[in-house]
Amino acid sequence: MLQQNIRDFGMYIALLVIVIVFAVATKGVFISPRNISNLINQTGYIAVLAVGMTLVIIIRHIDLSVGFLAGFLGAMAAIALVFWKLPVFVVIPLILGFGILAGLLNGFLVAQMRIPAFVATLAGWLGYRGALQLATVKTGTIIIPNEAFNAIGNGFIPDIPLPGILPGVHKATLLIGFIILAAYVSGAIRDRQKTRAYDFKVPPLNIFVTRLVCTAAVIFLLTWILAGYRGLSWTAVVILIIFLLYHFITTQTVLGRHIYAVGGNPEAAQLSGISVKKITYVVFASMGMLSALSGMLFASRLRSATTQAGTLFELDAIAAAFVGGVSASGGVGKVSGSIIGALVMASLTNGMNLLGVDISYQYIVRAAVLASAVIFDVATRNRTV
Amino acid sequence: MMEKRPVVEMRNIKKNFGGVQALRGVDLVLYKNEVLGLVGDNAAGKSTLMKVLSGAYIPDEGEIFIEGNRVELASPMHARQLGIEMVYQDLALADNLDVAANVFLGRELCRRKIGPLSILDKHAMEQETTRLLDRLKIDIPSVRANVEKLSGGQRQAIAIARATAFNTRVTIMDEPTAALSVAASRKVLDLVRELKAQGNSIIIISHRLEDIYQVSDRLIVLRQGRKVCECPVVGGLDEFREQVLAYIIGARDDFAGGGQEGS
Repeated sequence: MLQQNIRDFGMYIALLVIVIVFAVATKGVFISPRNISNLINQTGYIAVLAVGMTLVIIIRHIDLSVGFLAGFLGAMAAIALVFWKLPVFVVIPLILGFGILAGLLNGFLVAQMRIPAFVATLAGWLGYRGALQLATVKTGTIIIPNEAFNAIGNGFIPDIPLPGILPGVHKATLLIGFIILAAYVSGAIRDRQKTRAYDFKVPPLNIFVTRLVCTAAVIFLLTWILAGYRGLSWTAVVILIIFLLYHFITTQTVLGRHIYAVGGNPEAAQLSGISVKKITYVVFASMGMLSALSGMLFASRLRSATTQAGTLFELDAIAAAFVGGVSASGGVGKVSGSIIGALVMASLTNGMNLLGVDISYQYIVRAAVLASAVIFDVATRNRTV
Repeated sequence: MMEKRPVVEMRNIKKNFGGVQALRGVDLVLYKNEVLGLVGDNAAGKSTLMKVLSGAYIPDEGEIFIEGNRVELASPMHARQLGIEMVYQDLALADNLDVAANVFLGRELCRRKIGPLSILDKHAMEQETTRLLDRLKIDIPSVRANVEKLSGGQRQAIAIARATAFNTRVTIMDEPTAALSVAASRKVLDLVRELKAQGNSIIIISHRLEDIYQVSDRLIVLRQGRKVCECPVVGGLDEFREQVLAYIIGARDDFAGGGQEGS
C-alpha cells in the first residue's frame, strides 16, 4: 500500500525532511510563527502560478510567458491604482481580465495556429518583458500607496473581537482552521463509507487512520502556529481559495475530467467528442488569470511595481509543479501536489537564506531537488504495480 | 423476414485520394444481429470503407442508409450520434484515467450544474460500468483501476465495451486482436460472440482469417478498392482459408455480385 502510494507521499516526506533539517539547523527559527507566516506569503505568488502550470503541463504544453506577464500585469495594476486612480475593487477584476485575454492569446497561438507552446510562449516571455519595461520606463519603480491593495501581500485577516477569551490568540484563524479540519475529517470518513457502500475496496483501516491523523495534525499545528502570531494572512486566504477552486474543478467536474483526458490521450479525447481546442483555450486562459493574480500578489507584497518583477517566476512555477508530482509526459498531476511543490521550493530558499547559504549554492541545491523529483517521477512511473 | 433487416447499407461507395482510387464503387450490407468480417490485403480499401462509415471520410460518390434512412455522415461525432461506433486499432483509451472514466469519456453522467461547471456523478458511472462489464463477462480487478495498469486484452475489452455501451447500432472493430497474445485474442473473440448473443451488429476487420472464421456469419473480401467476394462463413477452416486467400491475393476473380466500375 505504501509502495502504491509512494508517488503521492514522496513530496510530503520531502517537505517533512526539509522542515526538520532547517528547524534543527536554524535552532527553531525556521519553524517560528513569524517565519512560517512569512514563508506562506513568500510561497503565494509562485503557488498560484504552479496551480495554473499544473493544468498546462497536464495537457502536454508549457507556458514560459507567465513570469513577465505577471510582472507586466503587476505594473498595470500599479498604473491603474496610481495614475488612473481606479479603486482596488475595479483594478483587481480588470487586471484578472487582462490576464485572461493574454492567456487566450497564448491559447489561440497553440490551439488555433498549432504553434508549439514552447515557442509561442517564448514569444510571450520576450513580449511581456518588453511591455514591462515600457510600462515602467518613465517612472522606474512605481510605489503603490494604496493600503487596501498592499494588504493582499502583507496584511492579515481581521480577528473576531471577543475580549477576555483566549488573549493573544487569533480567534478568527483558529475558527477557520477548525472548520477546515472538521470538513476534511468528515469528508474523508464520508468518502470511505460511501466507497464501501458501493462495494469498492477501501485502504486498510490502519493506513486510513494514519493518513487522517497525520493530515489533521498538520492542519491543527499550522492553525495553532498562525493563530499564535498575527493570524491567517490574506495571501494564505488567496492560496486557499485557489486551491479549493482548482481542486474542485480538477477532481469533481466534467471540465477537469476532460483536461486529464486530453493530457492522457489527445486523439482518444478528440474521438470521444471532447474539443481539445476548447480545453487548450480554457487551460491557457486560466493560466493567464493566475499570472495576473500572481503579479498582483507580488506587487502588493513589495508595495510597488518594479522593472524586474516576474523574472524567473515561470521557471520557479514549472519547478514547483514537477517537484509536486506533475509528470513531464502529461496527463498526471494534482493541484495539491503543485502547491506543496511550491512550498518545498520556497522552504529551501527561505531556510538557506536563514542559514546564510551563498546564493550560488542555493541554486545548486534547488537544482538537485528538482532533478531528484523528476528522477523519482520517472522511476516510480515505469514500475507497474 | 424479421432477422434479415439491414442496419447499414452502403451503395456504390467511391473515394479517391488524389489520383488513387481507394474505393471504386463498393456495396456493403450489414444485417441486424450479424457479425460481418471484412478482409483484404493492405491498401485494399477496408479501412477507408470503415472510415467512410464512421464519418471520418466523406465519400466522393455513393449512398449510406442507416436502418433504411439515407444519411450524409459529416463527422465522426455525427456518425456516433447515429449509433455507429468505431473501436480503433490503436486503443482509443486515456491511460491516465480509470476504467469507469474511460467508458464514459465524452458522455459523463452529471449530478448537477454550477454555472458553467458540470459536477461528475462518479458513483453512478462506476455502478453503470460495473454492470456493463459484468454483463459482457469482462474480468478486470476494479473499475477504479487506471487502464495503464491493465493487460492489452483487458484494455481492448474495455475499448469494445465502451463502444457498445450507448445505444449502439453498429460496432466497427479495426483489427481488434492485432496487438494481442493468443490467449488475449481468444478472450476478445469470446467478447465478440457475447456481444452477438446480446443482439449487437458488428463489422470486424482483421488480417487473421482464423479470427474472422471463428466469429463471423458472413465475409466480404476487398481487393484494390473493389468487392471481390461476399459469402457466408461455412465449411472447414482450411478450406475457408484457402478460398479467401485466393480472393485476397487476386488468384480468383470470379465474383460478379458487385464492384462494377460505373463509368
